[in-house]
Amino acid sequence: MILYLLRRLFLLAFVFIALSILAFSLGYLFPGNTLQNFTGLTDISAELATQLTAEYRLDSGYIQQYIAYLQRIFSGDWGLSFASKQPLLQEIKILLPATLELAAYALLVSFFVGIPLGIIAAIKPEGIISRIISALAIAGYSIPVFWWALLLIMLFSLGLGWLPTAGRIGVLYEIPHVTGFMLADILLANSQHQAEALLNALRHMLLPTVVLATFPTTVMIRFTRDSMLDVWEQSYIKTARAKGLNRVQVLYRHALRNALLPVIRQIGLQFSTLITLAMITEVIFSWPGIGRWLIDSIYQRNYPAIQAGLLVISTLVISVNMLTEILHTLFNPLARKR
Amino acid sequence: MARFRLLPDEQQARSPLLLLWREFARQHSAMSGLVLFMLFFLLAVLSPLLTPHDPYLQNDTLLLIAPSWSEQGLVQYPFGTDDLGRDMFSRMLIGARYTFGIALITVIGALLIGLLLGVLAGMSKGVKSSIFNHVLDLALTIPSLLLAIIIVAILGPGLLNTLWAIMLALLPQFVHSIRNAIAEQLNQDYVTAYRLDGASNWQVLTRLILPNIWERLTVTATMALSTAILDIAALGFLGLGAQAPTAEWGAIIADSLDLIYVAPVGVALPGLLIFTAVLSVNLVGDGLRNAMKKRREN
Repeated sequence: MILYLLRRLFLLAFVFIALSILAFSLGYLFPGNTLQNFTGLTDISAELATQLTAEYRLDSGYIQQYIAYLQRIFSGDWGLSFASKQPLLQEIKILLPATLELAAYALLVSFFVGIPLGIIAAIKPEGIISRIISALAIAGYSIPVFWWALLLIMLFSLGLGWLPTAGRIGVLYEIPHVTGFMLADILLANSQHQAEALLNALRHMLLPTVVLATFPTTVMIRFTRDSMLDVWEQSYIKTARAKGLNRVQVLYRHALRNALLPVIRQIGLQFSTLITLAMITEVIFSWPGIGRWLIDSIYQRNYPAIQAGLLVISTLVISVNMLTEILHTLFNPLARKR
Repeated sequence: MARFRLLPDEQQARSPLLLLWREFARQHSAMSGLVLFMLFFLLAVLSPLLTPHDPYLQNDTLLLIAPSWSEQGLVQYPFGTDDLGRDMFSRMLIGARYTFGIALITVIGALLIGLLLGVLAGMSKGVKSSIFNHVLDLALTIPSLLLAIIIVAILGPGLLNTLWAIMLALLPQFVHSIRNAIAEQLNQDYVTAYRLDGASNWQVLTRLILPNIWERLTVTATMALSTAILDIAALGFLGLGAQAPTAEWGAIIADSLDLIYVAPVGVALPGLLIFTAVLSVNLVGDGLRNAMKKRREN
């Protein structure tokens, strides 16, 4: 197990080095001035340019430049945004929790809805309930996320007027930024309108969460169902049944534990798709997260922001990937042997 | 008096492909998916011949005509016209070329490159194959939309540039699945037997491995195709992919968004088409997977 962890860590280091090389090379690949792309300053005077060139080691070879880039990344100097002239790291610190919050709720929904539905669909694979669940799952799997979001907005926000269309919370409420997670911040804020603010935030959250959760939920349903059907035919299930355990006992003690193991891994594999969908969802619901910020950056040709966004989002996805894989190995002795 | 029979069962005397088809045709959902898929495919190939009007012709006497099922509609314009007087029906038809056709081309391209890389990774051993995997893991972690944003930032927006981004995003899953399939095949006894007969790597690959893995490849390709359609439409919607006059379905939705109260058809219809296209691909993929599983069980 320790050897396995060491190998994973080595791989992690390798991937991060490759990622940072990619991010570094973008400074050259993006159109425009390399110095501007690295610093984020658009208006550089001649003497400042020479000073910065020396500081960023742009006059020496690529390897020195890359080392200087790494030092800047680790010391927290990520450059400025072209659009707002603010330090990128500060902006990302404010934006990232919003995306994480949305993605986390969507994942939670996908667990609590997707896994039970998948189990129900696996109990009688040819039954009518199972067929309905499978049909819903394949429909949810095929629907384009932006269109689905528009349909729900049309129905619930514009048609029925039940839910707001944009933002994280109504403009009337002033919530200080502490953790960046809206619900936690409201609970920490300790104002007299806490209950109203909480309700308002939940109403804002409902539609984006439903839209974003659609894809992972359907993936969970399909995956849990296939995995359960697979496990249900194994001989240890037959043995357990022959020993006299009833269906519920077999399901809980033997089938579920084995069937849900690969699900952990599936989270890691689906996480990058989830982030892509979160970016689109954020654009439609004007959710102030990192995805909307990145897509705005491309319209504004804000190259330093794209570079920083690549670094942050990929690091996030890699970490989640690695974590789920290690968890999977930890829980599954069979995978540890290899 | 029983006759001598070489094979115990008539069923097993048929070719594997025919067996697969029999299992596939037994599923209604898969068959309807296949019909829809063929329809979209024909549309993507033939749509320039089928359009009743020029999809790019702006006609300022016929702006925002309602669809023909409403009182104000015209029979010549089944889905009405948009705010520039272009025929919606023709635009929908031609859109199949962009969203569906280009997705198909992307997947075929990714499949071919993936086959090459996957075979290289699968047939090599040790450090070389390990490096392949690690580079792939990196590529797998960058979300496809982020990859598209980076490529658009470097090359500028456009359908062709996002095509590269989607191809790049699809590539890792092809290489992974091909590599795993080859590794599985290489462990089989018949491969060892063939090698003992003196077969070279190339012969093992072309005579044994490829015929054995192409069905799994098809399933991977259908999954990739549904991702590709969704990605092309999403990028078109965000304005990073197909640009304004192009009748790509996602771009049409983005165009019609500000007219959603006046002409909801412009948003509803292209979305429905994207949904149907992806659904047909997924139904075929699922049907294929089920059929393969059932054939193995028999």
